[in-house]
Amino acid sequence: MHDRQQKAISRRNFFRALGGASTAAVAAAATLRPGEAQAYDPGKDETKARYRETDHVKAFYRVNGYQTLKK
Amino acid sequence: MARMKFLCDADRCIECNACVTACKNEHDVPWGINRRRVVTINDGKPGERSVSMACMHCTDAPCAAVCPVDCFYTTADAVVLHSKDLCIGCGYCFYACPFGAPQYPRVGNFGSRGKMDKCTFCAGGPEQDSTEVEYAKYGANRLAEGKLPLCAEMCSTKSLLAGDGEIIAAIYKERVIQRGYGSGAWGWQTAYRETITV
Repeated sequence: MHDRQQKAISRRNFFRALGGASTAAVAAAATLRPGEAQAYDPGKDETKARYRETDHVKAFYRVNGYQTLKK
Repeated sequence: MARMKFLCDADRCIECNACVTACKNEHDVPWGINRRRVVTINDGKPGERSVSMACMHCTDAPCAAVCPVDCFYTTADAVVLHSKDLCIGCGYCFYACPFGAPQYPRVGNFGSRGKMDKCTFCAGGPEQDSTEVEYAKYGANRLAEGKLPLCAEMCSTKSLLAGDGEIIAAIYKERVIQRGYGSGAWGWQTAYRETITV
């Protein structure tokens, strides 16, 4: 019975062991500082404008403003 | 720089749902998702009005403001797009959007709805333009092909306008002047009544 208690962390030593672990965690957190959070940046190529006023698009504007945009 | 906008001339919309069908067909949108839908107010009563709704590609998009993983971005021509690789399907954007644009492939709770899907203004997504990967995730990229969203191009009554905001606003304004009345949505006094002087 006495031997078994010695192998496992005893009730009296539990918080001592926990204190040691938390001290180690604090030390690790101090050395591993989190970096700045970064928003998703798709890059210039993906955010470039794709709209072009092609003949197809001009035809759409013309037929939608059929009576009105006489220029 | 041209800013891409949708404008629905509600006096012309006849609720044919061709825009909805065209969108689903063009982008091979899965079951349960409607990137565009037609909303009818006072259905069957005098004064019935229909309007075709999708993502309005807001300048200060509320969906982007609430996204916890910042998966939204705005292109140089003011189209609001998102990355499905980053989306976690939380559903915040759906609650934030005043137009109900974000859609999910599955019904479920937080994180189990699948990747959010919405109107891309036929401009694809972050993948390389006009590739199979882009098509599978976001649908066709008509803007890169020099075209406009198919919903607007298909509209039989020329109700749904899409393209450069300045040009389509000019087309709509001319229509309102020509017919002598608007959709009831022209001018600041519609929102602010007579309390504002223009």
